[in-house]
Amino acid sequence: MRYYKKIGYTYLITFLLIATGCSKLLQEQPRSQITPAFFSTPAGILGGIAGVYSDMRNLWGTEGFTNITLAGTDEYLAGGSASGTWFWTYNGLAAKTDDMDGLWGIAYQDINTLNGVLQFGAAAGLDSTTRNQYLAQAKFLRAFYYFYLVQTFGDVPLHLTFVTVPSQADTRTPIKDVYTQIIKDFTDASTQLSPTPTAPFLGKPATQAAALYFLAKMYLTRGWSSAAQSGDFQTAYNIANTLITNKATYGVDLWQDYNDANKPGNEYGKETLFVVDRESDLKYGERTTGSRASGAKENGTCFFFRPNYPTVNANYPASGGGPIMTRDIANGRPFIRIRPNVAYSMNVAFAERANDSRYDKTFQTTWIANTPNVTTPRGTLRIGIDTGIWMPGYEVTDAQRAAFTGVIFSPSNYTTVMFPSMKKYDDPNRADVNDASTRPFIFAKFSDVYLVAAEAAFKAGDNTNAAAMLNVVRQRAAYRTTNTPGQNAAAATAMVITPGQVTLDFILEERTRELYGECQRWWDLVRTHTLADRLSRYNPTEAYPGFVAGGQTGSTYNYTLRPVPFNIEISLITEGTPFLQNPGY
Amino acid sequence: MKIVVIQNIQRALLTSARLLRKLSLGFIIAGFFALPAFSQNVHLKGSVINENGSPVTGATVLVKGTTRGVSSDDKGVFDINVAPGDVLVVSSVGYTPLEVAVNGKKALRITLISSSNSLEQVIVVGYGTQKKKDITGSIVTVSAAALQETPSANLISELKGRAAGVDIVSNSSSPGASGQIRIRGNRSITSGTNSNSDAIDAPLLVVDGIPYGGSINDLNPDDIATLDILKDASATAIYGSRGSGGVIIITTKRGKPGKAVMGYNAYYGLSNATGEYKVFNGPQFAQLKLDAAAGNSINPGTNAYALTQAEQAGLANGTSTDWQKLIYKQGQTTDNELSLSGGTEMTQFSLSGGFYKETGIIPGQDFTRYSIRSTIDHRINSKLKIGLNTLNTVSFTDYGGNPVGGLVRLSPLVSPYNADGSVNKLPETGAIDGATVNPLSILYDANAILNNDRRLRTFNSLYGELEIIPNLKYRINIGLDYSQDQSGSYFGPNTFYNSSTALSGANESVANAEAYTYTIENVLTYDKTFLQKHRLTFTGLYSVQKDHYQSSGFSGSGIPADYIQNYNLTLANTITAPSGQSSFSERGLISYMARVNYAYDNRFLLTATIRTDGASVLSPGNQYFTYPAVAAGWNIANEKFMNNISFISLLKLRGGWGITSNQGINPYSTLGTLSTNFYNFGAGTAGQNIGYLVTNLANKNLKWESTSQTNIGLDFGLLKNRITGSIDIYDQRTKNILLPENLPASNGAQSTIVNAGKTKGHGIELNLSTINIQTKSGFTWSIDLNFTINREQIVQLQNPSVKANIGNLWFVGQPLNVIYDVKKIGIWQTKDAALAATYGEHPGQIRVQDVNNDGKIDASDAQIIGTYQPKWIGGITNRFTYKGFDLSVVIYARMGQTVAVPYLTSDGGANGFDFFNNSRNNQIKIDYWTPNNPTNNFPGPDASADKFIYASTLAYQDGSFIKMRSINLGYTISPKILSKAGISSLRVYVTAENPFILYSPLVKSGLALDPEGNGYSGGVTSAVTSSTPVSQRSITVNLNAPPVRQYNFGVNVRF
Repeated sequence: MRYYKKIGYTYLITFLLIATGCSKLLQEQPRSQITPAFFSTPAGILGGIAGVYSDMRNLWGTEGFTNITLAGTDEYLAGGSASGTWFWTYNGLAAKTDDMDGLWGIAYQDINTLNGVLQFGAAAGLDSTTRNQYLAQAKFLRAFYYFYLVQTFGDVPLHLTFVTVPSQADTRTPIKDVYTQIIKDFTDASTQLSPTPTAPFLGKPATQAAALYFLAKMYLTRGWSSAAQSGDFQTAYNIANTLITNKATYGVDLWQDYNDANKPGNEYGKETLFVVDRESDLKYGERTTGSRASGAKENGTCFFFRPNYPTVNANYPASGGGPIMTRDIANGRPFIRIRPNVAYSMNVAFAERANDSRYDKTFQTTWIANTPNVTTPRGTLRIGIDTGIWMPGYEVTDAQRAAFTGVIFSPSNYTTVMFPSMKKYDDPNRADVNDASTRPFIFAKFSDVYLVAAEAAFKAGDNTNAAAMLNVVRQRAAYRTTNTPGQNAAAATAMVITPGQVTLDFILEERTRELYGECQRWWDLVRTHTLADRLSRYNPTEAYPGFVAGGQTGSTYNYTLRPVPFNIEISLITEGTPFLQNPGY
Repeated sequence: MKIVVIQNIQRALLTSARLLRKLSLGFIIAGFFALPAFSQNVHLKGSVINENGSPVTGATVLVKGTTRGVSSDDKGVFDINVAPGDVLVVSSVGYTPLEVAVNGKKALRITLISSSNSLEQVIVVGYGTQKKKDITGSIVTVSAAALQETPSANLISELKGRAAGVDIVSNSSSPGASGQIRIRGNRSITSGTNSNSDAIDAPLLVVDGIPYGGSINDLNPDDIATLDILKDASATAIYGSRGSGGVIIITTKRGKPGKAVMGYNAYYGLSNATGEYKVFNGPQFAQLKLDAAAGNSINPGTNAYALTQAEQAGLANGTSTDWQKLIYKQGQTTDNELSLSGGTEMTQFSLSGGFYKETGIIPGQDFTRYSIRSTIDHRINSKLKIGLNTLNTVSFTDYGGNPVGGLVRLSPLVSPYNADGSVNKLPETGAIDGATVNPLSILYDANAILNNDRRLRTFNSLYGELEIIPNLKYRINIGLDYSQDQSGSYFGPNTFYNSSTALSGANESVANAEAYTYTIENVLTYDKTFLQKHRLTFTGLYSVQKDHYQSSGFSGSGIPADYIQNYNLTLANTITAPSGQSSFSERGLISYMARVNYAYDNRFLLTATIRTDGASVLSPGNQYFTYPAVAAGWNIANEKFMNNISFISLLKLRGGWGITSNQGINPYSTLGTLSTNFYNFGAGTAGQNIGYLVTNLANKNLKWESTSQTNIGLDFGLLKNRITGSIDIYDQRTKNILLPENLPASNGAQSTIVNAGKTKGHGIELNLSTINIQTKSGFTWSIDLNFTINREQIVQLQNPSVKANIGNLWFVGQPLNVIYDVKKIGIWQTKDAALAATYGEHPGQIRVQDVNNDGKIDASDAQIIGTYQPKWIGGITNRFTYKGFDLSVVIYARMGQTVAVPYLTSDGGANGFDFFNNSRNNQIKIDYWTPNNPTNNFPGPDASADKFIYASTLAYQDGSFIKMRSINLGYTISPKILSKAGISSLRVYVTAENPFILYSPLVKSGLALDPEGNGYSGGVTSAVTSSTPVSQRSITVNLNAPPVRQYNFGVNVRF
């Protein structure tokens, strides 16, 4: 009988164990993976935001994305080694919807992450100030992505909640509603974000200044669009003007010297509004060294705009003589992807170079000899002293050529592989000439606020303020450190324009001068409905024929929207309303 | 001779009708039937032994037609009073009952043949047992005696070819390797890795009632008493969400009442590679380089890999090094098991200790296992019984490295030794691969190579059984299972496996993993016979199970000295925590099950079960799923109308249907995972952050894949059960198969897992056991035969409109594993040069079929050119006994499947055999094309090519085979001689394992050594479909350790 009791007790204890254990047995507690619920913790909410910033590295600074922003416009032509030729010529673009996978897929992936942050983050154990600031970052980034989506693709699906149930259906939301949401998010961000960068968001992430800039640009863009509402341009102007007026509050201002805005080391400086960060640290900079081996997220902008300078031979234009220059860190790694469209960029936008210093501050004009024992027919080049290659930007006489030991490339000598080299993205601090840039990608500069304001004022019929805004930028552009104060003053005076001179063309040319190569041009022309016109005028052979041929006949909107990716979006919408492609694709 | 044997086997397997006829003839010749005789009681002393000569204890010996009977004692001996004309009926569980005429004899030695078809045999059916005659499902039993005919490190290897419907393929020939096991084929469409697919389609193992996960090597096969393999859904539905892959129920040996019996089982074996991979010898390799130069398609006549100075000298002096021979060695296997069992009516016990060690034929590869096991069963009183079973093993596996691929590549024209006899450290100096270190470094640098795993496993089950009221029993099973692995590796520099020259290039790693599981089962059983003819058994179950797993691992590179190996990673130059090495997962399962067995008059049988499983890995709301099953049986032989049909002793028709699942969803799948990245806000370290992104969408609605299966079977016994067997046909439909589905990217993630796919399968299984000859002189010949045909097919992918997924090689209407590529139809010959040119090819290149005759080869010319699914599989075991001698011969066949041999191809990338056929390295000896050798087998060498167009087509080979699995000859020494030494039985035996291959076109072609395969996946990318036509879970033939032939000498002693 004692056994009975003992066994009975054992059973009893066992049952109790089961009874207490069961309720928990079916609950999952992951420990080696992070689930979306992590967004409801302080570390998670910050991590979600950092994750989205990091994901932007997959776009801004990469070759494919740079093509999307610049190719097929008035400013550029394809370099000798250009990729994505269909973006340059618009020929065959219809079959290349996969090339838009990056922007489309990353944008929606990040938007969903941000929706998760916004949805779960409210419950994060943060004080309300910090929480609002964190959530404002998420709102800013969400609006930022929708802003680019809607400009690139037109009507796009608008998702504002975290997707928990996958769906095979999706519909386009009219741009009007998307714009409304973008404005709401940027408006919230412009008040809830910190006015200047504060920990943990150091460097130049989203701040009130950045939000105001985008908000102004958003109103400006909507004003141009079919969803325009009355007063959009005025609102855009007012917002930009507020930012300008209160620039001290936001810690932003123009550098005295245009050059400083793009100077290595100044990425977090006062003129920078917003960057996609990079750094030399291999882990947090997500980069490799040596050959740009896994460069998916690396900043390659220091490569794309470079001509093939190491192939220029000493006997140029005759053959022979060996290369004058060797590839080095100062002169960069030549990718030969993007060259200036001389007919417009050089001959129109940058035509004036005496008072306007921006041509000299945008393009590299000299390559100082760096290779031993290079002798041209005119003499031996001394390393570090003589100029091996000179691109004066204008035609020279034979006598001038004969007097110059190195090789001169005048505009008539430009080829698809030898052309003016855009130097804004130079990174002299790399360890290896083949390394990608460790510099943050500067996304927006304070000078653009003036240009946005000018365009808004112009569209609002206020040429006076438009001219005033343009003049701020233009007068600053007159400044050269090599000038005397008197010379600078004279140049600044010469740069002033009158309200009567403000035209849309002028504004677009000013944008070229101020923002050349800064990955905005395609959207600028689309926004201002000038893509067709300017291609026909300035890019009549490379881009215009394909642009016209590809679009809908008679439409002025030929290819002014990019195609929605077929394989990762359109073909997968198998339920509900079919998802239609943009016209022309 | 071989061909004749093959034909015989094929005929035997395929034409059972003819076989039966032959057998009948055999019976008549044997003169089996007893003659009647007159009665006059005499005292008869007899002994009962099995076909191995071991005594059968507790056998029932009955005088036919009476109730007089006795049982044999622990030496198998019995005494009985009989009349000279009496017939004795001798029976014992697990053996075919035997009728023996006394014929006036006073002493008899009776040999019982073990059988899986004995009616009274007790079958473990999960949460209970049933007699064979009452079974309604498709269940096959394999006895320990049968398993011991093919001694191996583990159960999986021993099961090959032993049971219909159980398909086992090797995936390695290294020590301790097991294989991939499938019962009734694959059901799930999985991508993912092999282990993933094993987790989904492999059977559930249950040891002494407790589900058993983890390594099969933790179970000493010597401890196994019987295996009951539950195949159809009506039998496996009681395991619900884990039943769809079938269930293998393992019952370990336990003590019996009586005098303590001590046993010692041991064998010692020597193994050798069945052969070497055939490579070009010295002159042939030199010729290959010449031919590759001639075939150089870019700079004709040149070869960047021309002979080095050393090679030229080697060619001149006749050097032709056989690198494989230098490295392969003789392997040894030793297995020892000492056991003691016995007990009283109240308490029974068994204890055993085992030691198993196997060294491979590759230096540095071995497997060692120590096992200690004990069971105790104690009856506290008439109502209460408790027991414990504890299985403990510690095993050590040395994986070494895999030198084979490298050995095959080495130039035969250089000598492994220098002129002074020292090792030639860099034999290929001067060649492009001159950094390759001499493989002899594997043998001499003991400290430089380490790659091992130490595993501890303790598997315990405790039960208590209480008879609450008569016929109503309550049983609790508590299982506790714990395992721990410590593994690590070190590959030092200047070795064959690591050609870096400095210690900074050393690689080391450590990893730890632990797993535990507890199971608590409450089983209520009510068993009663009503009104004599109605027998009812009710089983109810409530159980919980929790599995826990966690692991961590680190790698380092660089180390101060070889002897540090991986013992202190803090001394490494750099340490990393590789992704995937650290993990944690837990899963819980709560189950309810009820089963009713009803039998009427021993004629009509009905089984109905229902199980509900609640699983933690699914989202709340979807956690519970219910599995119904029903089956019926009709013992036709027990019908009155069968009484006159004397040659039929057993005839039972069974039919069943049920639903089961597999546990293909990993823990936390429904919660979603954030992927990580990194970002810096600003330039300082203060702004460095780990970022998180939602890159895959969790699907909260996930549920189990479910398989519904219908099975119809017929069990039969003819001629007093001298012929027994069963035939089963089944049809299974699986739905809600987990598949990745691409999502519109605007969801925020581009894919998710959905329950969408459907597959179906059907097949036929035949098990047949015959006693062909059984003479008075003691000669018996019996056969166990099994034969299986299984067909699988994909019915639906992500949705009905998706007919094919080329990237994953899924095609609706095709088997689950297929090869999809262009089809090689030969080599372009010189006379067809003009036509070849229209395809952009030239003579000597691979010619593939232009299916649509459009003059070009592209993706539209790809076709399904083979499947890994065999047309049929079968096994046949012949057993002979005569006067103490026993001989068993096990043959195993798997026919009609294609295998992939990646080392016969190259795609210029990471797959295949790098630089195949361009003469940079040596390679498998192939019949390659030259203008003077217009073969259609392999393309012409080309020194400029690092890949050959359509090279992937060279990989697909006929994988059919018929193998002699083992020949086992034993002799049981007469107990008379032994009894003085206190030995009750002694058997000595020799076994030849894998002695030869009867049929294999692949092996015959000289391109491979083992058609069974020895690795997973690894195909090469097709030139037209841009995907790899070898799916992740396909078993392929790779350059891994060659298969071995092993000869064992063993003893079984009982004291």
